[in-house]
Amino acid sequence: MTFSIKRVRAIVTKDWKDLLKNSYVLITIVLPLAFAAMLSRMAPDDPSLLTMPINIALAMTGAFVQASIMAEEKEKNTLRVLLLSPASTLEIMAGKSFLSAFITLAVVAGSIFISGIQIPGLPYFSIMLLLSLVIFLSFGTIIGLVSRTVMETSVVGLPVLIIFTYGSMLASMFDNPTMSAIVSYLPTESFSAALASLGQNGGFAEIKWDLLNMLLWAIVSLIAAVFVYGKRRFDK
Amino acid sequence: MDYQVEVNGLTKAFANKSALKGVDYAIKKGEIFGLLGPSGSGKTTMVKILTAQLQHTSGAVQVFGNDVSKLKDPAQMKRIGILTDNSGLYDRLTVYDNLELFCKLYDVSERRIDEVLEEVNLLQDKKTIVKQLSKGMKQRVTLARAILHKPELLFLDEPTSALDPTNKGQIHAGLRKLNKEGTTIFLSTHDMQEAEELCNRVAFLHNGSIVELDTPQQLRIKHGDSTIKLLLKNGSTVSVKQDMSGANAISQYITNGELLSVHSNEPNLGDIFVKLTGRELQ
Repeated sequence: MTFSIKRVRAIVTKDWKDLLKNSYVLITIVLPLAFAAMLSRMAPDDPSLLTMPINIALAMTGAFVQASIMAEEKEKNTLRVLLLSPASTLEIMAGKSFLSAFITLAVVAGSIFISGIQIPGLPYFSIMLLLSLVIFLSFGTIIGLVSRTVMETSVVGLPVLIIFTYGSMLASMFDNPTMSAIVSYLPTESFSAALASLGQNGGFAEIKWDLLNMLLWAIVSLIAAVFVYGKRRFDK
Repeated sequence: MDYQVEVNGLTKAFANKSALKGVDYAIKKGEIFGLLGPSGSGKTTMVKILTAQLQHTSGAVQVFGNDVSKLKDPAQMKRIGILTDNSGLYDRLTVYDNLELFCKLYDVSERRIDEVLEEVNLLQDKKTIVKQLSKGMKQRVTLARAILHKPELLFLDEPTSALDPTNKGQIHAGLRKLNKEGTTIFLSTHDMQEAEELCNRVAFLHNGSIVELDTPQQLRIKHGDSTIKLLLKNGSTVSVKQDMSGANAISQYITNGELLSVHSNEPNLGDIFVKLTGRELQ
């Protein structure tokens, strides 16, 4: 497997130029920031709501921007053209994920800034954010490859957004212990739990199981994305 | 013999349907090889197999002397160019931006962009957003992209199907120039005129099998009926054989002042295809 920074940079540059003219993606970027502003006004003193804007930013920007970029490449047959160029699978995946990752980080930072809450334990928070990025970009890649069109990504991706962002809310609504147990293993739940522990001056010992759960999610989702990419990369 | 492509006993089946049934042929270096067949005959499947987009069911396929699977290696991929039936362009970007990406991917100088746009008659449109181009113009951009890196082997799947005669002629001239510079061309088309104009050899693909393969000239001789058609001044036509009796008949018509024109009865590739398969090429 070859890897050329020059080729990755070419794909990123192209994606950046394209993104600036893509209204669908631009709206997807702005929405989490609007949610963050709304949530901060709703409960400015409730730190438990801090993770909500972050999770929304990760799910909406991380997953949906990546999904729409991948789906459009597939829909317009440009992914096929990239695959028939000297760019390797790794270069294409890296190039296509770099911009989504960068935008997601910017939106997460923007959401935190708008929420106005200090992040406890920055090194651990950075690791958690990195793992979340891998998870949501992988989901985005899968959603984009499974969807036939960009518009279809909204339909295919909606359950992901609902389950991962509002999982605990849904579990409490149904008051079902099994459902609550399943939801507790979601990476977003681990993210929230770990962040709460860090907020109470907790350290690695308090968040290790949450980190492990997120790491497992990251590994499994990455493997699933590579598998789906292998199966669905060529348009029909 | 230096072959760029060798296909032996190639079969491809989709579920219960056979798309290709034991196909054999080889393409020599520097040749323009035409694969002619109507829609659904298996041409696009063939191109996809030869460019490692699709795995074949059985048989052997070699490109540049290696198994076709080796094309996935970026160094090998740089040696081929592909123009498929669907454009695959970035609609929101300009023509230049589209080609610039592939210059970087193929490690080609961006100066080459103007050269290829000149060849496909689009230089004046290089700053135009692709979305604003006509279908024919988009097809010319994809052709420019396919030849950007001067590939050793160029696969063209219906390259001029959306073009008017003027642009078609210009593209043909560009392809001949590329071929003279050493590029081997695999042309898949149902346009028999295009095949006659460009190809050194043509293969007729019908229902997944090659039913004839030769130079266009040899095919015309092989499937011609060795007669000459005479148009007389009274409006009637007469067919005479290409032998002494025919020569005498022509001489007699000229002497009598009855002959208006002489025409060859040589069939074109479309006629030969119909004769062999009972189907039109379109």
